[in-house]
Amino acid sequence: MKSITQCVLAGLGSLALIVAPAAAANLNASLKAGKAELKSAGPLAFAPDGILIVADPAAATVYAIDTNDNKASNAPAAEVAGVNEKIAAFLGASADQILINDMAVNPISKRAYLSVSRGKGPDAAAVIVRVDAKGKIEELALDGVKHAKVALPNAPAADAKDRRGASLRTEAITDVAFVEGKVVVAGLSNEEFASNLRVIPFPFTGVDRGASVEIFHGAHGKFETNSPVRTFVAYHINGKPHILAAYTCTPLVKFPISDLSPGKKVMGTTIAELGNRNRPLDMIVYKKGKTDFILLNNSSRGVMKLSTEKIDSYEGITKQTDVTGVPYETIAALKGVEHLDKVDDARAMMLIRGEGGSLDLKHLALP
Amino acid sequence: MPLLHWTLAFALAAITFEWRRDAVEIHGVPDPSSVRDLASQFRVSVAGKDIAIPGAYDVSGNTVRFRPRFPLQDGLTYEAHWGATTNTHTIPKIVRTPSTSVAQIYPTSSTLPANQLKLYLHFSASMSRGEAWRRIHLIDDAGKEVSLPFLEIEEELWDREARRLTVLFDPGRIKRGLVPHNEVGPALVEGRQYKIVIDREWPDATGTPLTAAFTKTFTVTPADRTPPTLTNWRIQTGTSLTVDIPEPMDSALLQRLIWIVDPKGERVDGDIRLANEETRWIFTPSTSWAPGKYQLIVGTILEDLAGNRIDRPFDVDSFERVEMRLTTKTKSIPFTVPSAATPK
Repeated sequence: MKSITQCVLAGLGSLALIVAPAAAANLNASLKAGKAELKSAGPLAFAPDGILIVADPAAATVYAIDTNDNKASNAPAAEVAGVNEKIAAFLGASADQILINDMAVNPISKRAYLSVSRGKGPDAAAVIVRVDAKGKIEELALDGVKHAKVALPNAPAADAKDRRGASLRTEAITDVAFVEGKVVVAGLSNEEFASNLRVIPFPFTGVDRGASVEIFHGAHGKFETNSPVRTFVAYHINGKPHILAAYTCTPLVKFPISDLSPGKKVMGTTIAELGNRNRPLDMIVYKKGKTDFILLNNSSRGVMKLSTEKIDSYEGITKQTDVTGVPYETIAALKGVEHLDKVDDARAMMLIRGEGGSLDLKHLALP
Repeated sequence: MPLLHWTLAFALAAITFEWRRDAVEIHGVPDPSSVRDLASQFRVSVAGKDIAIPGAYDVSGNTVRFRPRFPLQDGLTYEAHWGATTNTHTIPKIVRTPSTSVAQIYPTSSTLPANQLKLYLHFSASMSRGEAWRRIHLIDDAGKEVSLPFLEIEEELWDREARRLTVLFDPGRIKRGLVPHNEVGPALVEGRQYKIVIDREWPDATGTPLTAAFTKTFTVTPADRTPPTLTNWRIQTGTSLTVDIPEPMDSALLQRLIWIVDPKGERVDGDIRLANEETRWIFTPSTSWAPGKYQLIVGTILEDLAGNRIDRPFDVDSFERVEMRLTTKTKSIPFTVPSAATPK
């Protein structure tokens, strides 16, 4: 869903995309060859060097997998109409027996990676496929692949059972990203209603499993709640890395990454609300001219484009009458975008639901 | 799942095809070891789709075997190509009698607050993902379906066995001060009656519909914005320990976030049951109580039906209730098992 934010000069503005750390060049060295036994394949994101971050919600684990897909290309994955049907056929199944969970574009090769469940029951197989510039679909082999994994901090253990032998508590992972040498994971418990953002240093050391942080947001300055983050993106404000997070209950909130330390309660600044009967799905940051923009696709309010120029100076929604916050425009022509990821500053790829339920992999010229 | 194995052999020239879920074999192939590229010569695909299914090949005598990456799907038609020879086969569909049902919807109470946060749907067997949001309906007392009452997240909050689904009412419509709350209001209106309807057509993990639709009817009481507190809980000792709570609590958290420690500070092993519409927590220890001072430990993230936690409301009015910001993870209530305790 989210590729590593790339090194782009800040230009005259105070905002810059996050710069990959210099140490990124040796990230592969931390990965060991073996079988990556995914129980499920959920949100995806790319770290440097073609390393794919894969969230495995069923195992409450995050994997870093070397895709060995490091050949630079400017040609993105081809557009594929009915990509869900084609992936299903590739997996020997009908389209109604697979679920496509997420999509991420490798910023080096520009291939599109999709996390897929083959089957719909609890025993569904986890598969990662990729689509190349010719539209060819292939599976990312998980046998003998260089990888590392880390169990999510403060997550229910995969074999945890209640006193009647049932393992009931689980956590859905709604987004994952690689930010400044760390893997950031947004999750949603199937029991307690809470914000839980995990920040895990990469390479995974096995000792430092990262911090679990509660992010609160205000609602018109009066009520303070915590709530699960649905999707997020990272960028700089005044040279400091921040996260812009969209909540399940629609506020768009910013907070500095430096606030994400263990056990800390973070109060984010609400900068916009995204409207009722709507769920935020994915966000990307891109640069056009001298300005950084955020593109956000929603479940029912289409794709929104926000200029970041004013986010750093915006003081937050503080009054009951102040409803909209930071201004945004809606790209009316884009409907049914279920997943979105950036190819480069000019292009993105999206999974878009067409007429009759077909899911299409399409290019998007960034507006 | 019963192991099905059948043979459908078609004489096509000198070769015959044999289909199983886990393999496709071609018999009677002259000198198969001379075929350089088996994957090009022997292709298996879903019928009508020109995409070869990946898998492994091996040769045994005059038989070439293809093992698909995943078992072939019931009811789906496939094609196998050996050079210019094509064989088509449909994997038989197992017709199953519906056996899965909705076992219970929590809360079990027939009244729910207007700011009810969660429902738990318990099924008698594992279910399919990807169907939930078109299979659960909230119908008001005028017979009209309420539009988008739930947080429809694609991930669907199942437990590992996919037997319990957590359904969140849209928190944006519950939380005061947010646009959805102000513009469209809560999904549940105080004083009205609603039905939760679960479609019979919702497929279980085998793809079979439920035995029957399920309906839960309830009446809506005023929004509950008062956090629960332990001060009014009532503990009774006996063979089982009974804790009576003045209001219903979240059923899942009630079973997870309350436990008992013995006089040595060790957790007491035993069974938990809920009763009286989730207002009663009953604990039966694995071994009989020893006399002494015990503590009932309660995690402060325990929620009532409206998501209010112990001593902390769901949406804190931060200007008026800053003192409500609780940071402790547990609270406790001491109780004593007297030496003369006689089981009730």
